[in-house]
Amino acid sequence: MEIRELQAYANFFFTVFLVFLLYGYIIHLYRSEKKGERDYEQYANIALNDEITDAPVERNPKTLDKKEKGGKIDE
Amino acid sequence: MQSNAALEYDYSVVKLFTYTTILFGFLGMLIGTLIASQLAFPELNYLLGEYGTFSRLRPVHTNIVIYGFTLSGIWATFYYVGQRTLKVSIAESKFLTIMSKVHFWLYFVGALIGVVSLLLGFSASKEYAEFEWPIDVVVVLIWVIWGVTMFGLIGIRREKTLYISLWYYIACFLGIAMLYLFNNMEVPTYLVAGVGSVWHSVSMYSGTNDALVQWWFGHNAVAFAFTVPIIAIIYYFLPKESGQAVYSYKLSLLSFWGLMFVYLWAGSHHLLYATVPDWMQTMGSIFSIVLILPSWGSAINMLLTMKGEWNQLTDNPLIKFMVLASTFYMLSTLEGPIQAIKSVNAIAHFTDWIPGHVHDGVLGWVAFTIMSALFHMAPRAFKREIYSKSLMETQFWLQTTAVVLYFTSMWIAGITQGMMWRAVDEYGNLMYSFIDTVAVLRPYYTIRALAGLMYLTGFIIFTYNMYMTITASKKLEEEPQFRSPMA
Amino acid sequence: MFHWLEKNPFFFSVGVFVVIAFAGLIEILPNFAEASRPVLGLKPYTVLELAGKEVYKKDHCIACHSQLIRPFKSETDRYGMYSLSGEYAYDRPFLWGSKRTGPDLHRVGNYRTTDWHENHMWDPTSVVPQSIMPAYKHHFTNIADIDTAYAEAFTVKTVFSTPYDIEGGVKLGTLDEAKVAALAEAKVIAADMKNQNVKDAVTRGEIPEIVALIAYMHRLK
Repeated sequence: MEIRELQAYANFFFTVFLVFLLYGYIIHLYRSEKKGERDYEQYANIALNDEITDAPVERNPKTLDKKEKGGKIDE
Repeated sequence: MQSNAALEYDYSVVKLFTYTTILFGFLGMLIGTLIASQLAFPELNYLLGEYGTFSRLRPVHTNIVIYGFTLSGIWATFYYVGQRTLKVSIAESKFLTIMSKVHFWLYFVGALIGVVSLLLGFSASKEYAEFEWPIDVVVVLIWVIWGVTMFGLIGIRREKTLYISLWYYIACFLGIAMLYLFNNMEVPTYLVAGVGSVWHSVSMYSGTNDALVQWWFGHNAVAFAFTVPIIAIIYYFLPKESGQAVYSYKLSLLSFWGLMFVYLWAGSHHLLYATVPDWMQTMGSIFSIVLILPSWGSAINMLLTMKGEWNQLTDNPLIKFMVLASTFYMLSTLEGPIQAIKSVNAIAHFTDWIPGHVHDGVLGWVAFTIMSALFHMAPRAFKREIYSKSLMETQFWLQTTAVVLYFTSMWIAGITQGMMWRAVDEYGNLMYSFIDTVAVLRPYYTIRALAGLMYLTGFIIFTYNMYMTITASKKLEEEPQFRSPMA
Repeated sequence: MFHWLEKNPFFFSVGVFVVIAFAGLIEILPNFAEASRPVLGLKPYTVLELAGKEVYKKDHCIACHSQLIRPFKSETDRYGMYSLSGEYAYDRPFLWGSKRTGPDLHRVGNYRTTDWHENHMWDPTSVVPQSIMPAYKHHFTNIADIDTAYAEAFTVKTVFSTPYDIEGGVKLGTLDEAKVAALAEAKVIAADMKNQNVKDAVTRGEIPEIVALIAYMHRLK
């Protein structure tokens, strides 16, 4: 097969694949919110409550001060 | 490690990058104003002997603005936003503290040497990639160090999820790394031949290939230096300054992926009607139009964040800066795709409409966003309130007028020249000689130079305001949460 | 799956990279071999022309001049035959430019003489009264860097197999041979010039930048 042709196929299918992923992502975003699994809008608060003493929206379990924090890991 | 009570965000590198943002901003705009004036008044070409001609100074201007002003602004905000949205202080890691300092100093020295090298004429002559290979090596090193500090900071984060701004910073890091490396692939001639200048190199690619790589780079350097990280900045600072959560966080995520995918395809719109394959040109055109969607997704998201709080626009000049910046972003992301339509491009390419387009983006969107971010950070980093609200207002109106003057004059100049180049008389002969189409532009060049001068004056006011904020303004007892205090 | 990506910075970065690298892979790489094929009869630059190209790059002429004639009647009438991909095969870097504050130069060698260039570079308004181009008087005193130009030719010959030293083509030879050849070329151009300093320099065996630049301009056809 000529390189041009290969190029065209690769381009077409990968683009379709990515479009597919993007729509899947949109569905994922709304569905997980509707089912109450994950509220994506809460992540906007990361910017608003960003003092170092503020409680994280979701605490990273691998963080340095794992031992000394009192809060629970929301996962 | 010690308890959280003693823990504070460490702004020392933020401060350093703030200084260089202002320094390079001033230099870049000063030279920009000078070269704009040279087109209107050619006598100004002889102020610095062979180092002062328009042609020698033009890359100095673009490189200082891109790699001086904008990069400094990006890094000043990165070290601020990065710490805060990850809820981790850089001071918690000795290694990262040292690396961030190394990052700054290597960058500062490298930038100075780079500027001098361009003044002396060491240029690879590829637009926005003019630095010769020794500087390129330093750039790569700086970039790697940034990667280390960024991913290092992410590695010790307390906040598990990365805020959208960080997504954009990461994309900026990866995008520029890839583009810069590939576009600057060059062979130093001294190392092969053993004679001649050590600085000199030849590009790995020739002719049309070089053009393709260059504009894949050139277009996307704009994407990943003037768009992506600036969106990162505004996604943090507008919500924070206004106290309003991002209108739709989901939309911001979708726009991100849309932008990432679409932007890269649009590069070949710089080569319409050139000797690159047709399908690539068409692809460039189509994707440029599609690009409106993710761009406007971000911009509208920003504007809607202010929903119900539009009164802040009247009483907080910082909000004014940021909202206007978002509006200019919408304007230039609409203008760009229009220019990428083939028939429009036939007229617009090679004319002053292109610098006009670049400048409503850079002056209106990039510089406004960066300046407002510096204003927002100053009370936090220096623990003093902003020196003067009225100076901010003055600066805002002066610079807004300047941007409008700039792009309107360049629109007219560009379209006039584009039309004159192709004008034919009734027998089909060209109506104008080239010089006719230059002479007719002189008034517009004068207006543009004036606009440059106004913008520069605004920047000097900004510099003064920042200087007084840092040194003489009223001290703050505690860090303000949302709105920046100002006198 | 999506949420996992959002929380794993490493895989997130990989994802971003794949998405942004895709366009480059498809658009640029596969076309490489084809686009770099020279048109028939195209010769590589001589050392003097390369030295002139260096001057062009050093003073950043591409800030105002393009070297790309688009396939429109208005452009071919003004500048000549539209540009072909293969004509740029030995251009490293390409110098198409992106702005025409001055006219296109891709075929300037067809219609401008040594004499015209000399007057124009010394004082553009003496030739084109309304010109806004700066004068480049320093080209008349600065000496062109022939060593570096030779190094460039040698590099492209060694690394990229640019066809120097073939029969009927451009001879490169050793550094000394190249210097002699460049000087001989320069003498032909200087003979048509009137600036005494330039003439004296060439007699002394030095080549001012202006001579190299004019050699390069003549080459653009």
